[in-house]
Amino acid sequence: MGIREQMRKGTTTVILLNLLAEMERPMYGYEIIQELEARSQGYFQFKEGLIYPRLHELERQGLLRAEWRGEEGSRRRKFYTITEAGCHRLERELQGWRSFTRHVDDLLGVERPS
Amino acid sequence: MNEIDRHLAAIAAQMDLDVETEHEILDEVRDHLETAAEQARAEGLDEAQALARAAAHFGPDEEVGRALQAAHAGWGTADAVVAAALPVICALVLRWLAFAPDGTALGWPQLLARPSFWIVALAALLVPLLRFERWRYALAAWVFFWALTVLFVTLPAQRW
Repeated sequence: MGIREQMRKGTTTVILLNLLAEMERPMYGYEIIQELEARSQGYFQFKEGLIYPRLHELERQGLLRAEWRGEEGSRRRKFYTITEAGCHRLERELQGWRSFTRHVDDLLGVERPS
Repeated sequence: MNEIDRHLAAIAAQMDLDVETEHEILDEVRDHLETAAEQARAEGLDEAQALARAAAHFGPDEEVGRALQAAHAGWGTADAVVAAALPVICALVLRWLAFAPDGTALGWPQLLARPSFWIVALAALLVPLLRFERWRYALAAWVFFWALTVLFVTLPAQRW
């Protein structure tokens, strides 16, 4: 597994929470994946089906709220929204991420823009 | 069975969850595959190519199915154990509350005046709601609990 894949896997939670927080509206799985691929300009290639287990985990943890829309028998679609707890978790994750990248940059001698 | 149904069956084969959860998961996957195929058709692919591309981007059915199972594993078992245990615990506590040490049963006024009775009743209703966010378990526990209550009160000579 390359570093890109490892980093993507390790950051999926914060990426999903951040997207839903920024979009400020309910989104369904396929739409989330399309938006993430567009934002990463193809840098991250997702196995689309593997997004769902992560969404379900976040839902079970209370970080996302899910709602089915549409009638039984016709096309039903599950929409996800970030919860208050999800926003708090996102804040902590972002702080952790900034701290982590700063320290890795220091170790690697990467200069940061001042 | 069409192509999407075949993928859903392969994913379902990796899961061992309660029927309702599996149904919801497969509905969501179906929506994804149908939407992706529609997108591919809109880009000019024929039906077979569109479905093939949607399935390829989705990932291997077995891997996705195993990941979905792992994401939900423990949910069904924990629910079942607590849902089964809660009414039994409530019933046992109720029996302790409803019967005096000499075996005579309390009437409704005495029973309803006991704070411990209401604590048990609230636990029977609220604990499942907090634990599962699934109202069916709460309702089932509540109905079972009250059925036993009625049994105790209407049949005061009943001995367990």
